[in-house]
Amino acid sequence: MMPIWTKSGEKHAVTLLKVQDCHVLRYVSKEESGGKTAKLLVGGKNVSPFSKPESAHEIFVEAGVPRKQKVTTFNVTDDAIIKPGTPLYAAHFRPGQFVDVTAKTIGKGFQGVMKRWGFKGQPASHGQTKTHRRPGAISTNQAAKVYRGKKMPGKMGNIYRTSFGLKVWRINTKHDIIYVNGSVPGHTNCLVKVRDSKLPTYKDCNKNPPFPTFFADGDEELPEDLFDEEIFQFTDPSVTYT
Amino acid sequence: RVSSDGKPPKFQPPPKPVIIDRKTQKEERRFLSPEFIPPRGRTDPLKHYIERKDMIQRRKVFNIPEFYVGHVLAVTTADPYASDKSNRFVGICIQRGGKGLGATFVLRNVIEDQGVEICYELYSPRIQAIEVLKLEKRLDDNLTYLRDALPEYSTFDVNMKPVSRMEHEEIPVNKLQVRMKPKPWSKRWERPKYNIKGIKFELPEHKMKAAQKWNQPWLEFDMLREYDTSKIEEKIRKELSEELEK
Repeated sequence: MMPIWTKSGEKHAVTLLKVQDCHVLRYVSKEESGGKTAKLLVGGKNVSPFSKPESAHEIFVEAGVPRKQKVTTFNVTDDAIIKPGTPLYAAHFRPGQFVDVTAKTIGKGFQGVMKRWGFKGQPASHGQTKTHRRPGAISTNQAAKVYRGKKMPGKMGNIYRTSFGLKVWRINTKHDIIYVNGSVPGHTNCLVKVRDSKLPTYKDCNKNPPFPTFFADGDEELPEDLFDEEIFQFTDPSVTYT
Repeated sequence: RVSSDGKPPKFQPPPKPVIIDRKTQKEERRFLSPEFIPPRGRTDPLKHYIERKDMIQRRKVFNIPEFYVGHVLAVTTADPYASDKSNRFVGICIQRGGKGLGATFVLRNVIEDQGVEICYELYSPRIQAIEVLKLEKRLDDNLTYLRDALPEYSTFDVNMKPVSRMEHEEIPVNKLQVRMKPKPWSKRWERPKYNIKGIKFELPEHKMKAAQKWNQPWLEFDMLREYDTSKIEEKIRKELSEELEK
């Protein structure tokens, strides 16, 4: 995470996400998948092919791509279908766009009720016998049962969670890095899924995105760094107020 | 040559060569700002490289002078709420923290009997000028004990003139021993954990001995705590000098 300053002198914290060897693996049509839209399977970071049997390599061999560590699905409209095997780059996103980021949260192991659900526990003194971090009562008398989904101790973390509506401040096309506002679930160097935001406030935010994606062998030549309009770039002199 | 007496001329030994050790002199003067050294962790070195590029870019436009803890600095920032839109503060640098773009330094001064500490970010675009008024290192890396010292040690004149200094001289170390206010202090500065050499402790002997109970002499031999930055520093210095010359 890094600080970033706007032209009016305000500071925002930013997370850096690297797009590492992303390729489209397979196209699944609407009828095949049984959903409302067609799906595209996309694979992430490259990994050695020797730790899995040959049967697991079928998708990657069809697309002509080395084995990927993570495979995710994206719901896609029919006019945005991409041929399997095309690489995806960070320039697919543009600064000023809003994005949802999904990842597995940091695993905390088996945790008690105070850390996991934020219960208040009991006082430390004044006669409490061996009861300082316990849940207390778990149901009422009339219910005569414990309801399903009762908050109790258990394994915490290591589940998929999404942060919605994160602004993209800057894109580095040379190293394929996306600068995303705020924090993102997961530990450092974990695998993350970045998707255009589905929040209703940001529906019409993205003007002229690269559609269906940014092709590296196309005619468009992008500069090394793409900045949002409000960012203070370090090539400018210091901020002054009038 | 023919001498006047007809004897061979007296042997004149050649003059002794004067060795000017320019290499060692130059090496000692190199300073690397501490926020360039990446901390030990599991982050990708690519992230540190990209941050360093941004820091170098800022340094090309705005001059950040070399300074240590103990120097007296004057910082002018842009302030939207001030009448002439800028704000100048003079103070002694107490501590330098943070790595990368978020590096900070804290300046302390006592203005009208009120101690004021301001934490500035080195790479913030609102800073318009940093001037070093007085160059002197102190005996410690962290001068936070000035909060419990007598206020005369933290007062600096706001209209102080910059003390002139030659470029080749070494930065002088001020071996001042500061006198403290009566206890209680914000931290127990006499304990060996803080390792402070710049305080004149006027505590009784038995209290100083009792403080040594918290001494951890095995810590200096702990090999897992060693972080040798010499090679990393060399690489970063090379990178910096190449980029700043461009």
